[in-house]
Amino acid sequence: MEQQNLTTENVADVKPIIEFRGVSKTYVGGTHALEDVNIKINSGEFVFVVGSSGAGKSTFMKLIMREEKANTGKITVNGFNLTTMKRKHIPLLRRTMGIVFQDFRLIPTMNVFQNVAFAMYVVGAGGKDIRREVSKALAKVGLGHKARSMPNQLSGGEQQRVGLARALVNSPDLIIADEPTGNVDPNMSYEIVSMLTEINRLGTTVLMVTHDHNLVRDFNHRVIMLDGGRIVADNGGGDAQ
Amino acid sequence: MKMTSVKYLVGEGFKNTWVNRLMSIASVGVLMACMVIIGLAVLITENVNMAVGNLEKQNVVVAYMKDYNWALLEGEPTPAEDSTEEPDENGIRQSDFFIHNEEEAKALCDQIAKIDNVAEVRFISAEEGLKELQAGMNDGKEQSEIILDGDNPLSCSAEIKMNDMALFAKTVEKISAIDSIYEIQSQTDLAETITAIKNGIGIAGAWIIGILMIIALVIVSNTIRVTMYNRKLEISIMKAVGATDAFVRIPFIVEGVVIGLISALLAEGILYFCYRVATETIIKTLNTTDIVKYGDMAWILLALFVGIGLFAGVIGSVIMISKYLRKEGSEFAAI
Repeated sequence: MEQQNLTTENVADVKPIIEFRGVSKTYVGGTHALEDVNIKINSGEFVFVVGSSGAGKSTFMKLIMREEKANTGKITVNGFNLTTMKRKHIPLLRRTMGIVFQDFRLIPTMNVFQNVAFAMYVVGAGGKDIRREVSKALAKVGLGHKARSMPNQLSGGEQQRVGLARALVNSPDLIIADEPTGNVDPNMSYEIVSMLTEINRLGTTVLMVTHDHNLVRDFNHRVIMLDGGRIVADNGGGDAQ
Repeated sequence: MKMTSVKYLVGEGFKNTWVNRLMSIASVGVLMACMVIIGLAVLITENVNMAVGNLEKQNVVVAYMKDYNWALLEGEPTPAEDSTEEPDENGIRQSDFFIHNEEEAKALCDQIAKIDNVAEVRFISAEEGLKELQAGMNDGKEQSEIILDGDNPLSCSAEIKMNDMALFAKTVEKISAIDSIYEIQSQTDLAETITAIKNGIGIAGAWIIGILMIIALVIVSNTIRVTMYNRKLEISIMKAVGATDAFVRIPFIVEGVVIGLISALLAEGILYFCYRVATETIIKTLNTTDIVKYGDMAWILLALFVGIGLFAGVIGSVIMISKYLRKEGSEFAAI
């Protein structure tokens, strides 16, 4: 597969989209969430992040989204230096990424189209662009016919596909999926990861946190395993250590 | 910011106001009540100022001049050895008094007019003074003529009006210091009372307005807080997809402004109605027309209410939203 070639042999030619150098994060109260993490994820990769509860997966994702700030070390995402980044520039970083949540986070008072369009309104897109891009994103996830449905009229899998369309609609360079299959049935889980794989095939970097070992086994992507705040396994070639 | 975004954000602000209509109505009610009380405080202050102003107009000071009559009744004649001038039949010499004719009296009035805080000076000749005195007596001219037996013992005088009653004593002191003035008749107590009333009303008004402004701010902040709570999911998504702080903030500010403006318009209407009813009753009962007309104050009050509404709306929203803007992702769930 193209993805496999990218992560093993040609990695030196590809620019890292995410880079952690000596990153540690300790929360107020003394919980050590991450310790001395060094990692590189290259543009175009699909990476599973796995680990048990409390391993540091959530902190790892929060640091990438700049919801949290590292205590030590340097983090670079999409060309932004997150260590020195000013608060007012955080929205610019987040506009380069699409986020898929485990709990979907759809606004119950908006229909499918409005939920997806919402992400475009936020970045100041024009009305025509919104109509065109939302329709395209919904078609990509196979929900073009449900644009007027309300979230409560959709199954869990369909709701997560709306979440995926929302993450895709601004054409981000990076998709961050935080356990996107956690609240959907196994069949739909495969369908969602297949969609993410297809999105990745078209050039978007995908970083997905999961607990589902079957998915990790069946989709042959790079896997980063965290335990006790440290990277204990990484089958990819982008390791900075 | 693009027009689409502005339309969207303003629309969201209106939508929020409607979605949280119970809370919005409660906020409008309390904010409006605050405005009506503030408006009443302003109208009462204006009416008191008007009444005090009328009193001030009546509170004139009369400065009597050292003229021939003064020399005759109260002056100390110059000893014969100090003067070469022959006294008249009353034993008065020209050097025994300061004001010898009307020109000198008017010149003295001009001198008084130049003193700080003196608003107006009117020269009153001895004859005019007598006429006014007679007019003021209960039985009129006849009785006073009997008492005075045809003589006019009054000196000519200057009737003085002042700008600021708070400077009354100082001004009187300056006038008294003029050599040609021998006596000043004034109502010091009234001036002090007027000044005390004005100061008291001013301080009470400022306190009322200050306290109600704080109440207004708290009320609007609480409404915005409820909206924030209801919309925490939206805000967390907004932040995740890259909304700026301004983008998140604007709908809340619009909501605050809508609440503020609706309250201002309602307060103006209610105050107009209440004031009209109250003044009609007062005019009938007290038979007075010395009452501030609402029409004269309508625009000032509307501007004041809109100002309070905008201030409470904008500041209340900004205070509340700023508190939450620093929260991220999962922190919103804990609100």
